[in-house]
Amino acid sequence: MLLTLDLNDPRPLHEQIAEAVRRAIALGDVRPGDRLPPARDLAAALGVNTNTALRALRELRDEGVLEFRRGRGVSVLRAPEPREVLRDRVTALLEEAERYGYRVDEVIEIVRELAEAKEGRR
Amino acid sequence: MNVRRWYIPIAVGWTVLVAVLVVVAPVPLLDRLPDPLATHWGLSGRADGASPYWLDALVMVLLWLVIAGLPLYRLIRGDALRRRHDRRWMCAVLAGGGVFVLALQTMTILANLDRTDWRDAAPVGPGTLLAVFGVSALAGAIGWALARPGPDEEPPASGRRPPRPLRTLRSGERAVWVSSATAGWAVTAGSGLLLLAVLLGVLPPLGTEHRIVLAVSTGVSAVAALALSGVRVQVNARGLAVAFGPLRWPVRRIPLDRIDRAFVDRRWPADVGGWGYRVRPGSSTVMIRGGECLVVRYGSGRELAISVDDAERGAALLNSLVAERDNDRS
Repeated sequence: MLLTLDLNDPRPLHEQIAEAVRRAIALGDVRPGDRLPPARDLAAALGVNTNTALRALRELRDEGVLEFRRGRGVSVLRAPEPREVLRDRVTALLEEAERYGYRVDEVIEIVRELAEAKEGRR
Repeated sequence: MNVRRWYIPIAVGWTVLVAVLVVVAPVPLLDRLPDPLATHWGLSGRADGASPYWLDALVMVLLWLVIAGLPLYRLIRGDALRRRHDRRWMCAVLAGGGVFVLALQTMTILANLDRTDWRDAAPVGPGTLLAVFGVSALAGAIGWALARPGPDEEPPASGRRPPRPLRTLRSGERAVWVSSATAGWAVTAGSGLLLLAVLLGVLPPLGTEHRIVLAVSTGVSAVAALALSGVRVQVNARGLAVAFGPLRWPVRRIPLDRIDRAFVDRRWPADVGGWGYRVRPGSSTVMIRGGECLVVRYGSGRELAISVDDAERGAALLNSLVAERDNDRS
């Protein structure tokens, strides 16, 4: 499983990891029924504490995306809605914008400009 | 291409045919056989064990199912069919094993035929045994030869693919890949051996020195089997790390600096000389199970291949990391 984190993301690590896993599942890298690598292996690869990775996986379990089973590890229960994944990313964007001092309507303005530019290129 | 479709019906048909023949063929002769039959012969060649006919037939069928089980499973699951080498071995085992069981049963029946008591059964000497093994080996060779038709088929996602980077990583993005491969049979064998080692060490029936030697050698085999029962592979900005076995120890780390590129290949134990850590000139392989392997080529030109699931994404990430490293340098 491939996970990507953004080092500039101001949110707590466990939220970022949860988002990365959610995105990997939403994109179909890992499908419902597939087993996830154990938390300790994810943590070792990401260079974070095992508890941080576990916390991320527990969040996803509470969302109903993952399932923990004794002796069988963690497996994917259902793919998250793409909308949830987008919401995650927008939340991160808004938080970063806030750090630069932008207001929400200014971010929306940027999004609109970019969308119009993309529309214009077609 | 369609030739391969015939292997499964023929293999299943052969398995059923042998099982039926072993049980049914002697039935018309039951009047001329003693009850019980001589079914076991000692080293001297004289019959020293007997059992009723139904038990003899049951043992023969079970023996046959044990022999035929693995090749049938591998043929039907499909992976043995694709490669001529595997296919030939499976067909050789099926043909040789089937004839072996039939010859064994024939030998038993002939030795008992027209005797009133199993103790009078004809002796079985080295000549008879040689004949049984010879016929089986011949049948195995015929099975081997017959399994030739049909090409080696490589599944569509196969062959040495050129390295293909994932995409350029954005600055400030941390990407990692984690995957694994496990061989279920090695886990079972290793755990069984470990249990046996503990039992040998604890239980009293053996003499002390024998017990220690046996326990230690069993223990060492158990650890070796467990260490090679699985790998955990990770790729991150530091490079590649391969951890062996359930304890994730030992760990082999390959720093990103040493890696030139990565790609995916399909390799099988037969290609690299067996399971485990196989070293060959120019290329080492960590062979846990046949199939998809992640291959890294070092700057020195040597290669390391690791059998692991989802190898493609791992290779893509490695190539992206290598590209990023080279950009930083220039």
